[in-house]
Amino acid sequence: MARSTVFRFRSGDSILHRLDPVTRLIWVLCVSLLAFGAYIAWVQIAIAVAVLIAAIALGRISPVEIFRGTWIFLAAVASFFVIQTITLPGTHVAFRLIGHPIYVESADYALASALRIYTIILASLVFVRTTDPRRLAISLVTQLRIPYRIAYAFFIALRIVPTIEEEIKAIRAAQMVRGVASERGVGGRIRDTKRYAMPLLVGSLRRASTMVMSMEARAFGAYPDRTFLDVPRMGFGARLFCAAMLALVVAWYTALALGYVHAIYVFAPN
Amino acid sequence: MVIPALDGSAEPDSGRGGDATADEAAGASAARPLPVIELSGVSYTYTGEADPVLRDISLQVRDGEFVLILGPSGCGKSTLMLLLNGTVPHAMKGKLEGEAVVCGKKVADTQVAEFATDIGMVFQDPEAQIVNTNVRDEVSFGLENLCRPVDEILARQAEALAIVGLADAGDRSIFDLSGGQKQRVSIAAALAARPRLLVLDEPTANLDPAGMAEVFAVLERLNRELGTTIILVEHRVDELADKISRVVMMDRGRVVFDGSPREAFAARREGRSEEGEPIPTSAWFPQVAEFALGLAEARGAPLAPDALPLNVAEAIAHGERAIAAGGAVRAIAPAAADARPAANPKPLLAIRNLRFGYERAVPILRGIDLDLGSHAIVALMGRNGSGKTTLACTLMGINPPPKGAILLNGKDLAGLGPKEISVEIGYVFQNPDHQFVTDRIDDEIAYGLRVRDYAEDAIERIVAEVLGIVDLAAYRHRSPFSLSLGERRRLSVATMLVLEPHLLVLDEPTIGQDYERARQLMGLMVRLRERFGTTVIMITHDVRLVAEWADRVLVLSEGRLAFDGAPDDLFADAPLLAEAGLLPPPVFEVSAALARRYPGRVPSATLSLHQLVHWIAAEGGS
Repeated sequence: MARSTVFRFRSGDSILHRLDPVTRLIWVLCVSLLAFGAYIAWVQIAIAVAVLIAAIALGRISPVEIFRGTWIFLAAVASFFVIQTITLPGTHVAFRLIGHPIYVESADYALASALRIYTIILASLVFVRTTDPRRLAISLVTQLRIPYRIAYAFFIALRIVPTIEEEIKAIRAAQMVRGVASERGVGGRIRDTKRYAMPLLVGSLRRASTMVMSMEARAFGAYPDRTFLDVPRMGFGARLFCAAMLALVVAWYTALALGYVHAIYVFAPN
Repeated sequence: MVIPALDGSAEPDSGRGGDATADEAAGASAARPLPVIELSGVSYTYTGEADPVLRDISLQVRDGEFVLILGPSGCGKSTLMLLLNGTVPHAMKGKLEGEAVVCGKKVADTQVAEFATDIGMVFQDPEAQIVNTNVRDEVSFGLENLCRPVDEILARQAEALAIVGLADAGDRSIFDLSGGQKQRVSIAAALAARPRLLVLDEPTANLDPAGMAEVFAVLERLNRELGTTIILVEHRVDELADKISRVVMMDRGRVVFDGSPREAFAARREGRSEEGEPIPTSAWFPQVAEFALGLAEARGAPLAPDALPLNVAEAIAHGERAIAAGGAVRAIAPAAADARPAANPKPLLAIRNLRFGYERAVPILRGIDLDLGSHAIVALMGRNGSGKTTLACTLMGINPPPKGAILLNGKDLAGLGPKEISVEIGYVFQNPDHQFVTDRIDDEIAYGLRVRDYAEDAIERIVAEVLGIVDLAAYRHRSPFSLSLGERRRLSVATMLVLEPHLLVLDEPTIGQDYERARQLMGLMVRLRERFGTTVIMITHDVRLVAEWADRVLVLSEGRLAFDGAPDDLFADAPLLAEAGLLPPPVFEVSAALARRYPGRVPSATLSLHQLVHWIAAEGGS
């Protein structure tokens, strides 16, 4: 009925699509760890650009889709950048805003903080967009030895997210037709949620019950193990890539701990 | 097993269609097929419920049968289906009495998973029952759970997909399939384990006519060519009557009829609704059987079961025999002149070059022009994805209407807010639960009035009146979610009609409920049309509903208005029907064929069964 969300798996034949899910998972975790550990804006810019290139060149996600999927976060981190720049202390004044000094160090730190959040969101988008939840579940079982019932519960939770999104849209539309307007404030939010919750709960229980019956009728959970067709495998290249990513993270945090990393500013003088 | 037929052991055509029925064929056969289902005195009461949902059911089904289970909502059909693979009583707990043996295993002692290789289950909602995101994964799922070797899984998966005609679709995403294809995938997923018995609970309820035809064609082939035993709950009997070998009718938990299709449909019966009210079962009868029954009544002669037609070809032959036999014994009244009020020419809604798409690159509505007056019941038809719901949502302002494209009572819809639109237009969603916003039925009806600041005494008066109209006054203090589906539908309509809208959109009134409920709903719509001059737009695939109730039909095809006219003109336009994936109602096909051969007796094709019977039976009598 409505446009589909960008934060959803789309099948494809890109380099990232062909990688096994655990390698992609390690990539997201390493990117996140690097982003967490980098307080220097240049490093954050480098990581963000690398993730953006990976998304476009390796994941074949178009810039338009990236913007559509992350514009709301972009707006949020931009506000975050502005607020931090205005409020954080520093030493070199760049300019004054209605008499208030704006420091270049603050801008540097704010840029690093804002990009850190955006980079992690972007990496997550790449992961979700290129990872079939079922293959991820199979990888969890076959590569990470997680029990298959748990892995499937995780997979089904991801699988039904789009269905629940559609259901919420339908409920919102149906209630709008009744003349219901969204309420403001915490109390209003609670009342809104209560109105949505009951129809959503009833619908979700009905669907869940059918899915459980459909799975049990096909012997799901009957045996401690199950066969998996087309098990994702981590190839030599992927192993090498994972080792390199992990080595990079270890090296970065070691360098941080030993004090080898010195700030190289974007805005402030070095 | 599904596959035995491939090595030649299955029975040949066991008598669907033509004149031979399966039980006749079975009678002629020397070796009786083995029983698959043996139920003896089975009753079942869900935990926490006082009354049993199944009562003293005895039923035996043998290999190779194709059994249709019929009955009103709430009669226990679905529970009976779930009993067959042990979901009842092992997953949905309750008290099971009597003896139930399926595929040689006692249901009471056999867990659901142990039936996985004996019984394939297919449910109503294609979205809810498909677990995986890819066709091949879904079909392999059961065999993977059964720890079968990879080579065997690959071979059986390919075999199952070939049976349902999806051999090349293994790599496709489930999300890219049509509803009919999804149900065929579900059937393949069940067949991959080579079950002896296939159980389907309303598998076409959510499908358009094209999807329904796909599913029924696969089932017919499975039964005829591969000898698969099939138990099916369905309401769409017109398309099924000549494919099945046996009919079981249920009413309030009991089996009230068990026999061949011709015996089943040769006499009128009465059932009871979920709310306990008597209802005619004619809604579940094939229209061709209704035609023969009507002719027999007009001629004052009983109808022998073996003379009952089950498909259009047989009905045409039946009509020809009746014409050849001469005049009627007693005359029947000619069909009443069309009582439908003429639509008011003053436009209520004017649509000019309406274009809309959720994404700029993918237009869904591609330039629609339309005028609607008051006092009309208008059917909006078309394939799934043709733009019907998008058009309706744009009329409601759920989708932002382009400026100047939609005028409601002369006002640009783009300039009106949700509150203003909802005074003029009501929308009854397919799922009534989505629309409920309060905890009590009377509050639910009062809600729209309170939002519009009506005085409390006026609200009380209007609510009482509307509760009476929809027959829910006795439950006014209960929660909307505690009602049956039919009652929730009526409440959903009540919340809309309380505002006396000029236009009411009804989304798929027959989906997920039986025909009788849809008839009740349409009766309410007619009362609205007559009382308030309301124009009703019903989005539907149900051609019988359209033939019976619609004054005008709109057909959308790929976002364009492909037809705007009377139902008779639509069903006479074969290329358009094919384009829109629609089939004419059987009475139209029968009357069209008779009109070509006997223009003196049947002057034209008609959608009215009564009219056709009158034309044929009236010679010399009226």
